[in-house]
Amino acid sequence: MIKKFIHQFASPKTYLYQINRAYKYIFYSSLFIYTFSLIWGLLFTPEDFVQGNSFRIIYLHVPASFLSQSLYVAMAIASVTYLIWRVKLAAYLIIAIAPIGAMVTFIALSSGSIWGIPTWGTWWQWDARITSTLILFIMYLGLISLHTSFSNHEKADKLLSWLVIVGFVNIPIIKKSVDWWSTLHQSASITLTDRPSIDPSMLYPLIGSIIGFFGLIICLVIISSKVQIIKRESTKSWLKDYV
Amino acid sequence: MRSWLGPILLFILIMVSYPLTIEFLEQDLEKGFYSLLWISILLSMMFSTEDIFLEDYNDGSLEQIIISSTSFPFMVAKKILIYWLMIGIPISILSFLFSLGITQNLSISLFLFPMALISSYIFLNLFVFGTALSLNKGSVLGALITMPLALPVLIVLGKSIIAIQFGINYLEFLLLLLGCLSIIITVVPFIVSYVIKTHLE
Amino acid sequence: MNIKSLVEADNIAYKINGNKLFHNISFSVKKGEALHISGPNGSGKSTLIRIILGITKQIKGSIYHSKSIDISYLGHKNALKNYLSVSDNLMLQGLSNDNELNNLLVLLGLKKFLDVTVANLSYGQQKKLALLRIFLNKSNLIVLDEPFVGLDSDAQDIVEKFLINEINLGKALVYTSHIKSNIDSKILNLK
Repeated sequence: MIKKFIHQFASPKTYLYQINRAYKYIFYSSLFIYTFSLIWGLLFTPEDFVQGNSFRIIYLHVPASFLSQSLYVAMAIASVTYLIWRVKLAAYLIIAIAPIGAMVTFIALSSGSIWGIPTWGTWWQWDARITSTLILFIMYLGLISLHTSFSNHEKADKLLSWLVIVGFVNIPIIKKSVDWWSTLHQSASITLTDRPSIDPSMLYPLIGSIIGFFGLIICLVIISSKVQIIKRESTKSWLKDYV
Repeated sequence: MRSWLGPILLFILIMVSYPLTIEFLEQDLEKGFYSLLWISILLSMMFSTEDIFLEDYNDGSLEQIIISSTSFPFMVAKKILIYWLMIGIPISILSFLFSLGITQNLSISLFLFPMALISSYIFLNLFVFGTALSLNKGSVLGALITMPLALPVLIVLGKSIIAIQFGINYLEFLLLLLGCLSIIITVVPFIVSYVIKTHLE
Repeated sequence: MNIKSLVEADNIAYKINGNKLFHNISFSVKKGEALHISGPNGSGKSTLIRIILGITKQIKGSIYHSKSIDISYLGHKNALKNYLSVSDNLMLQGLSNDNELNNLLVLLGLKKFLDVTVANLSYGQQKKLALLRIFLNKSNLIVLDEPFVGLDSDAQDIVEKFLINEINLGKALVYTSHIKSNIDSKILNLK
């Protein structure tokens, strides 16, 4: 039953048509939210007592760090879906997400570096969180290169899914690294369980920027998944009608 | 399997050349020694798995094994075990011997030996997974993508040495690694056999 | 499914990256029968062989294997260890204690090469050595991918006679071959 349901709604054709309708709304609303939060955060919040103006990079750094892990979780879910129900769309999504994940992780790392110069006095520190994020970046690159090294796509999809699932161990390590090791890196500003350790005047634009950034990245994933579908389903007749 | 001596020699080479490249007092030698030890174990294990399936893949033996009625995951597990017996155990014994020359604290060396035994087996399993993934593409790629998985083990190993130096609950680390190992040795043979079958398809 | 069949394929199809290799293939192989899969290069003969072996999975259709099935197979790859001697290879395959081994070694002219490493044998000799696995195996389905390539006519005769004899004894055979043979078999033609 579930299988039938998934296959009906997760056919690349339905996905493509549905996503085209939704794309516009997601793009414009998240673009609005992100610009709005940025303007609010950059211009209308007071300076940080300790860090001065340099803290304002959190409106890029925090969303990017958050997304770098969320995208991996999304890949892991897609992998499980692909291996259990053989949903082709899930496989396309894994490959569509990987390069974007790599990009976002790179943004997280580099914005962190820039932030590190004024606050820590160094742009790189071999602490647990930075190192584990670097490893996440390497994993994204490894996933991409593994997939491109196969000529048989179905084979590559299966192997890739297994690797994504096994590599999932890294995610809890990144999450917990700030608590487990003594480090320069500050612990998370927002958690679901505790009260935020950050002033509300900074908090609201931060939440806004996370939501906005999230939406913009989803738009990128949509575009990238469209490319994958067109590439992989190029022999199908429905695609010719679509194009 | 022809080259089981290679990884062991590599290990010895790193451990012997370490004191030569450092120009400090003996206590400084000890500080860096443990991290170098774990990394050398990791590297030796990585090199030992390089051709674990390649030969059988190229000459068609893997297909014969799949067709025959013997259980493929069992065969994989057996193969990993043999590698551990031939390479992992000698390297662990060598780690013990080298550590005797570095530290006066015998309890560290005695603790280090089982840690080396367990971690080498874990590394072996992880890198076998990597080599299986990139079976026909050369194992550098495979080693690279499974390297992140070995990282948590390295972290635990590093912390365990500090724990024993201060004499606090270091047995927990041993049990933690044993727990990881018991999961890994039951899961990896199945994943690896699935991955290899996908390659042969 | 017919109880006598060892393998039965029903309407199977295979694709690579979305391109059809073959489709609508149905056949059955019973005990005492031979099936010759023929077709030009790239028509999917080896792939079909691998589907029969259960290594590759078909995209569509189904394939039944009898419960009592026991396959012996020789494909393009010999599954021989190049750096080991002939006798070591036989030992590795668990064939060295077989009663018929000595006769077969003499018959195929491999007796004097027992201590030679496989890498130093000619292609034809390696093929003969690999075929020993088929000769000495007690399986009921023999699957061969181009068994006669590289063999001289004497060796081909020996292999053919052996196979015909095995079929008469009630075994089944599935093979591909570009070289004409005298084995009386059903033909499955892939376009």
